[in-house]
Amino acid sequence: MPAAIVATDLSKTYDVKVRDPGIKGALAALARPHYRQVRAVSSVTFAIERGDAVAFLGPNGAGKTTTLKMLTGLLFPSSGRAQVAGYDPWTGGNPFRQRIAFVLGNKQQLLWDLPPEETFRLNRAIYGVSAADFSARRAELVELLVLGDLVDKPARQLSLGERMKCELAAALLHQPEVLFLDEPTLGLDLEAQQTIRTFLGEYRQRHGATILLTSHYMADVTALTSRVLIINRGRLLYDGELSELVARIAPIKRIEVVLSEPVPRARLEEYGRVAHFAPPSATIEVPRESATAASARLLADLAVADLSIQDPPIEEVIRIAFGEGAQDTDAEPETPVRADVRRAPP
Amino acid sequence: MSRDASPGPVASFRDQYGELMRSAFLIDLQYRASIAIWLIWGITEPIISLGIWWSIAAAGAVDGYTREAFAQYFFGVALVNQATLSWDAWNIDRWIREGEMNYRLTRPIAPIHEAIADNIAYKGPTAAIILTAWIIAAAFWPAARIPFDPGRWLLAIVAIVLAAAIRFLNGYATGLLAFWTTRATALVELQFGISLFLSGRIAPLSLLPPRVVHIAEYLWFPYVVSFPVEVLTGTVDTTAEYARGFAGQVIWLAIWLLLYALVWSRGRRRYGAVGG
Amino acid sequence: MTSIRRTIVVLRAFWQLNWLEELQYRGNFIASLLGTVFWLAMAMLTVALYFRHTASLGGWQFWDVVVLLGIFNALAGVVETVLRPGIGHLPSDVRSGALDLVLVRPVDAQFYVSFRRLDVWRLADVVLGLALAAYAFAQTGRTMSAWVLISFIVTFAVAIAVVYAIWVALMSLAFWFVAVENMAALFDALFEAARNPVSAYPGALRFLFVYLIPIAWTTTIPASALTGRLQPALAMWALAVGIAALGASRLLWRAALKRYTSAGG
Repeated sequence: MPAAIVATDLSKTYDVKVRDPGIKGALAALARPHYRQVRAVSSVTFAIERGDAVAFLGPNGAGKTTTLKMLTGLLFPSSGRAQVAGYDPWTGGNPFRQRIAFVLGNKQQLLWDLPPEETFRLNRAIYGVSAADFSARRAELVELLVLGDLVDKPARQLSLGERMKCELAAALLHQPEVLFLDEPTLGLDLEAQQTIRTFLGEYRQRHGATILLTSHYMADVTALTSRVLIINRGRLLYDGELSELVARIAPIKRIEVVLSEPVPRARLEEYGRVAHFAPPSATIEVPRESATAASARLLADLAVADLSIQDPPIEEVIRIAFGEGAQDTDAEPETPVRADVRRAPP
Repeated sequence: MSRDASPGPVASFRDQYGELMRSAFLIDLQYRASIAIWLIWGITEPIISLGIWWSIAAAGAVDGYTREAFAQYFFGVALVNQATLSWDAWNIDRWIREGEMNYRLTRPIAPIHEAIADNIAYKGPTAAIILTAWIIAAAFWPAARIPFDPGRWLLAIVAIVLAAAIRFLNGYATGLLAFWTTRATALVELQFGISLFLSGRIAPLSLLPPRVVHIAEYLWFPYVVSFPVEVLTGTVDTTAEYARGFAGQVIWLAIWLLLYALVWSRGRRRYGAVGG
Repeated sequence: MTSIRRTIVVLRAFWQLNWLEELQYRGNFIASLLGTVFWLAMAMLTVALYFRHTASLGGWQFWDVVVLLGIFNALAGVVETVLRPGIGHLPSDVRSGALDLVLVRPVDAQFYVSFRRLDVWRLADVVLGLALAAYAFAQTGRTMSAWVLISFIVTFAVAIAVVYAIWVALMSLAFWFVAVENMAALFDALFEAARNPVSAYPGALRFLFVYLIPIAWTTTIPASALTGRLQPALAMWALAVGIAALGASRLLWRAALKRYTSAGG
């Protein structure tokens, strides 16, 4: 079976009108517009197997949304190819659209003035879902997303989190094979974020849907998937396991200790770099391979009330990755940092 | 993964339209107060025109139009204008500007169907309101009565439906220019201004200078208001006049359908190249 | 009164920002100018069409009606420059709660809400309208005198006051009926009646536009001043009506605000 999502050398270049600030600039632009080519996405290649979930990470303007728009058929690539659910997104037409769903966190398709139930009804008709399938799926989604009677209140009266949950339900009634989510948890309260994460994991398990999502929140990523794609300035910098990225980019562990007796900072520095020192607790960074040994010594030497070994926070790892990537693209534009697990399309 | 058993293209199309119209109508119900204001806005223009022509005709018929003929004509204009007016360009402009076009393009139904359903759901009930107001006015005011002639009314309904289709496609296709420019709505306004005269909204076409009427005959404007109104009031009477009017409507419907298809496919490609 | 003075200081700062912002959008100026010229042409053609079939409209000759049309356009320009961008936003401010931010400021709320934003390019409508009125006035063959000029200026100011009061009245309805967001369209519809002299309307309509919703007077009276139709007594009446309209708008605003604040927003 072919992969659910395949991107091969996918690139997107925009012509952007360049304009100097001020009135003079505006008039000059009117008379003789200057264009500058901006490569939003540059030779991106990856493949996602059916039923996999992958997170797409990168700073704002990195090219995530442009890539999603090419994969959903909204934009066509300047060069390269995409194949989603067996279709070319740009030419796939309605059979393709039947097989995907695109949820944008900042742009809702729920009918604003009506209860979500009305959007469900409308989507049932638009996607041609049979009455039996509709009632079964609706019941399942209402249960998994804990919607209760939210579906009967006008969408404008719902909170942001409640709306996003209903939005997801509306987008899944036709049981798409591939689900694209652009920042689905942006701006939501913690509880709603949690519900949506749990839901997406559960839904994927049950129905084998392929999920590609972008997010600012690491918790979305760690809860849903182990595989990440990292993109910056339109280039794919990394494609692989999150844990490997952590191990390679930041080959350290953090030992968090709580001391039962006061110990000077200098004393702790004998074990590793003290990243955080707020007696009675402290955080010491040590090389990965010596983490166990260092912990054992700490426990033996000092009065330790509590000790735990942890990976560095993902946010920090990503920041390091982007930093490296940026340097790397400047130095050697053609090779990304190295996507070890980079999967070539079949 | 199981796909849904298709209920057949016709049934599924009817299902889609049914639900699109239902939700459009439910939304309209929420905005009924605003719609009442739009209705008032829509009828002031023919009322004011009627008032002025009524005063002018005090001295006697104007080119064959008596006061009563003016009254019938402008009641007809109020009804036909309500049933055919297109504001779709403003919707398209918003869809593109605010990114609402994106999810519409990932659904397995072209956005125009949503617009058509929205138009039917809005124009049906509001035209019925205008018609009711006309019937009430005619009960008290003999000048507003048109001759009892069900056969002609049936033809008028056909003419109004064709007119609505032409004006809709005209407005929608012009609105789609929003894929290229932020001033597509200005082009619709321009046509709206021209249609004051060439569609016969400000006066019956026969009162315009002959040269202007001659130009109008080569455009779609007369077929979207003037012709249906004149069918209704009985000004269009001979078989030849009917044939010419309906032929003009069908031709312009085909032309605007073609123009829509052209602008849509080009615009869609343009959107695919540059995004919103 | 210090509150008014402070409001003016605040507003001046706003207008400066507003002006700098508008300078960025010169394209809007061209577009709105073209729009104005186009709609003026359509209005002139309409009048010309009437006069193809009649020698006078309610006792007004062609150029008299064009004088009125110029005044109509100038008045519409005032609406577009000041009223629509200012008090026209009141309903959405009530709905979004932005009005609360105004009410906590040490400024005169009605004054501030009414004049906070100027759509400066639409001043071109005022200029074009007055220019058309001046041109048509010359065509009527009348001579300008101090009385004509002063009575025109006074009655035009009164017209602005009355139109302003109508906007305050319509927009204040937002405090009672939050769901209606196109009150401005109601004004647009009614204001259409002011395109023609009041005497051009037959009985029932005259009753509606002239007495029930006295909007048609807003152009007819200043145009009467320019076309030698204005009786001094009517001018006095107009002045009284203008002052009363301003007073009424103030009272209405207070009542609306009282309702707003007592309802807890």
